[in-house]
Amino acid sequence: MTAAVRPDAGVKLAGAAVFGTDLDVPGMLWAAFVPAPVAHGRIRSLDLRAARALPGVTVVGPEDLAHLLGPGERDLERPLLAQGEIIYRNQPLAVVAAPSAVEARAAVAAVGVEVDPLAILSDLEMVFPDWPGSEADASPQVAAHVRARHGNVEAEFRGADRVVSETYRTSSIHQVALEPHACVAEIRGDVWYVRTSTQSPFGVREDTASLLGVPESSIVVEGTWVGGGFGGKASSFLEPYALLLARATGRPVRLALSYQEEFRLGRTTLPAVIRMETAVRDGRIRARRVRLLLDVGTSLPGRDFATGYSIGFLLGPYRTEAFDVEGYAVRTHKPPFGPHRAPFAPQCAFAVESHLDHVARELNLDPEEFRARHLWQEGDTTPLGQEVGPFGLPMAFERARATARQWRKEAPVGHGVGIGCGFWSTSTGAGGEVRLRLGPQRLIVLQGEREIGSGSVLVGLAAVAARVTGLPPDRISIEYGNTAEAPFDSGVFGSRTLGALGRAIEEASVALRRTLAERLGARGQAELSVERNEIYAEAGERRAAVTVLLSPEELATGGILAEGRHVAPPRSIDEKRVVTGTFYPYTDFTGAAHVAEVVVDPATGAVRVERYAAFQDVGTVVDPGAAQAQVEGGVAMGLGTALTEEAIWSDDGRLVNDGLLDYRIPTLGEIPPITVEFIEGFAGAGPFGAKGLGEPPIVPVPATIAIATRAACGAHVTELPLSAERVARALKLL
Amino acid sequence: MTSRPLRLTVNGHAEELADVSAPERLLDTLRWRLQLKGTKEGCRTGDCGACTVLVDGRTCLSCLTLSHEVDGSAVTTIEVGPDDALVARVRAAFERAGALQCGYCTPGFVMAVAGLLRERGTSAPREELLEGLGGNLCRCTGYSAIVRAVDALRTGGP
Repeated sequence: MTAAVRPDAGVKLAGAAVFGTDLDVPGMLWAAFVPAPVAHGRIRSLDLRAARALPGVTVVGPEDLAHLLGPGERDLERPLLAQGEIIYRNQPLAVVAAPSAVEARAAVAAVGVEVDPLAILSDLEMVFPDWPGSEADASPQVAAHVRARHGNVEAEFRGADRVVSETYRTSSIHQVALEPHACVAEIRGDVWYVRTSTQSPFGVREDTASLLGVPESSIVVEGTWVGGGFGGKASSFLEPYALLLARATGRPVRLALSYQEEFRLGRTTLPAVIRMETAVRDGRIRARRVRLLLDVGTSLPGRDFATGYSIGFLLGPYRTEAFDVEGYAVRTHKPPFGPHRAPFAPQCAFAVESHLDHVARELNLDPEEFRARHLWQEGDTTPLGQEVGPFGLPMAFERARATARQWRKEAPVGHGVGIGCGFWSTSTGAGGEVRLRLGPQRLIVLQGEREIGSGSVLVGLAAVAARVTGLPPDRISIEYGNTAEAPFDSGVFGSRTLGALGRAIEEASVALRRTLAERLGARGQAELSVERNEIYAEAGERRAAVTVLLSPEELATGGILAEGRHVAPPRSIDEKRVVTGTFYPYTDFTGAAHVAEVVVDPATGAVRVERYAAFQDVGTVVDPGAAQAQVEGGVAMGLGTALTEEAIWSDDGRLVNDGLLDYRIPTLGEIPPITVEFIEGFAGAGPFGAKGLGEPPIVPVPATIAIATRAACGAHVTELPLSAERVARALKLL
Repeated sequence: MTSRPLRLTVNGHAEELADVSAPERLLDTLRWRLQLKGTKEGCRTGDCGACTVLVDGRTCLSCLTLSHEVDGSAVTTIEVGPDDALVARVRAAFERAGALQCGYCTPGFVMAVAGLLRERGTSAPREELLEGLGGNLCRCTGYSAIVRAVDALRTGGP
């Protein structure tokens, strides 16, 4: 397998790719937020006069919104600027624009704020010192309550040989895309135009429209190159503010976050507490009780997405006849929760895998055999009553066990080898529309997403287009249009891009090849080929250059047009098992089993990863190089979650480590050699049975490291990350 | 704020800037005065390495460098042309190894690798070269492909 050179390598290696932070328009103003000085309080006064008196400075405060916003319906639950009450530290109170960054900062400093402080709920256990009771549903601190159950849980717990109960804790982590959020907005006639670094141009358009009270048709979003997303750029953030200032000033406005603001305002994963109880009889899991308290910051009631999703992940890919799983999304005075690569699934897998490993040890059973015995097989029914489709995890797990056995033979004393599992689904979701345009020499794929780095757009979609049309890759261009030009798609997230847009390309290709066959007077689909720089179509007995098959209009517009649209396959669960809240079925089932060898410093508890192997269910590998890169990158990011990453919030709602020196992501020397093996043949929702691969590789990593660490030194650490301090405490070194 | 003239040679071109204020950072001079946006702004605190450039052949974090500190120096950025043979070789190695994804850390990494090879040579011990890249963060690749690119640049391979 030789990996193709990425089509974006040239522009990126020349420094010519324009990212959101690079946008620069003549006459542009520089914007900045006025941040709230407390995490909770009532604004007594907001004095903007001194800032407004500075030369060239425009300030938009809460009282200015009325005449700047559009007349349409607005999302009143999410005020753009704090109105009266401050609910998290650094929440925008006002936004300023000035001729330079220095002048914008000076204007922010000139704003006078007086606040009457209110009690700060800084963490989960302040809100709910005990598990929430039935009164909690009425609490303003609960954003979501989800519960699913099935079977006679109480009877199984009563009749168990053994019940094992544990509590796990997970940390607040940040996406750390290296490019901070940045956009440039301008008003062009009646159009609110914004260029931005985003994973979802259409999502930004929809969200911005509802925040500004402007029809979606009046907003145009143009994506730039994206310097990393990982979920952090999945929805609108800065765009409405930049547009408001553009409207207030009549000038283009740049709004970009400093990296410190990136940390302080980031919408990402917040801490959680997970309680696990398992009833075992005759060496088998009879019943499980799982409870989750997930901190969702100031996420709005009804808008939490993570808790419902987590219910499924908290049971893991294991047969569980009787269960009761319940989760609360708990509001605290922090920024709203946001998605972070496979949102909250690595944390769920950490708790599930560590717990089942622990249960087996408590019962003197082989922990790997214990998990293998319960693993879902294709055709099983999930706890929530969905049939498990093609699923490569059992095979991945067998491959992982073989590797672990070999590594255990080779490992020096003091090293530990462990296996962790995880699963995910391709969330093909809304949208997924493309337009193909076949000209005499090229096929253009027009679609609405920018490449965010994973290769899903520029590498993956090009590979799909080549395979379904039969054209060589150098004849295919993946083109991007802004939201006024491109067909709709919901975003590059949820491991959905290749699945959704790839399926749409498949459909459009069929339509295109049928049209060509018709024009050749034949039935079925034409075959495409290239000869002397011309594309030819062949069907039945006839063959012709595409150029002679085009109408004059098609020749003038660049070629023959075909459209394709992905349609999400129908899936269902047993709704009766969902007692409270909502749970969505999976589109497909993607599994992974990972192996790590670690060594623990006996004096400090520091964990070093010696080597790592990922066995990754993928359906079909579409591009070997891009696929391997997703696994290598996902594992490395997961090693950060496992070992070092922890955003620390103080009692007064302040993010303590708001920089890359104190919030430690993995560096080059800390990444072990990673081997990647794909498990193919278990078809997923994407083209040729491909499964999404952006998120799945991160899911098993913290679990794998925790289990390997316990194997190395006996430390059973139930809290992420596995910092040296936590391992040392578990070993009673501290 | 005091301002004074600044002279730099950037990618071989002489640049004379009449009016550069004392606290201006080299990163901002390159990006916003000279429109060389290839050098990336990440943290502005010296922790991520995205803004790495070469100053007189040595790696330099342009976000922590005042432009006047390097007055009169030769600055090399990712925009340097193919006549810079070392940078060209590093670029080619990154391209072949697929050592980039989103591309935001890439200019800093390319310059850091070029600076290291210029300083230590291609026969320097592997560990020394990899340790020299500890100040450049990448969130996409997990560094594996970047290490493969560095190995390909070393005399004798990995």
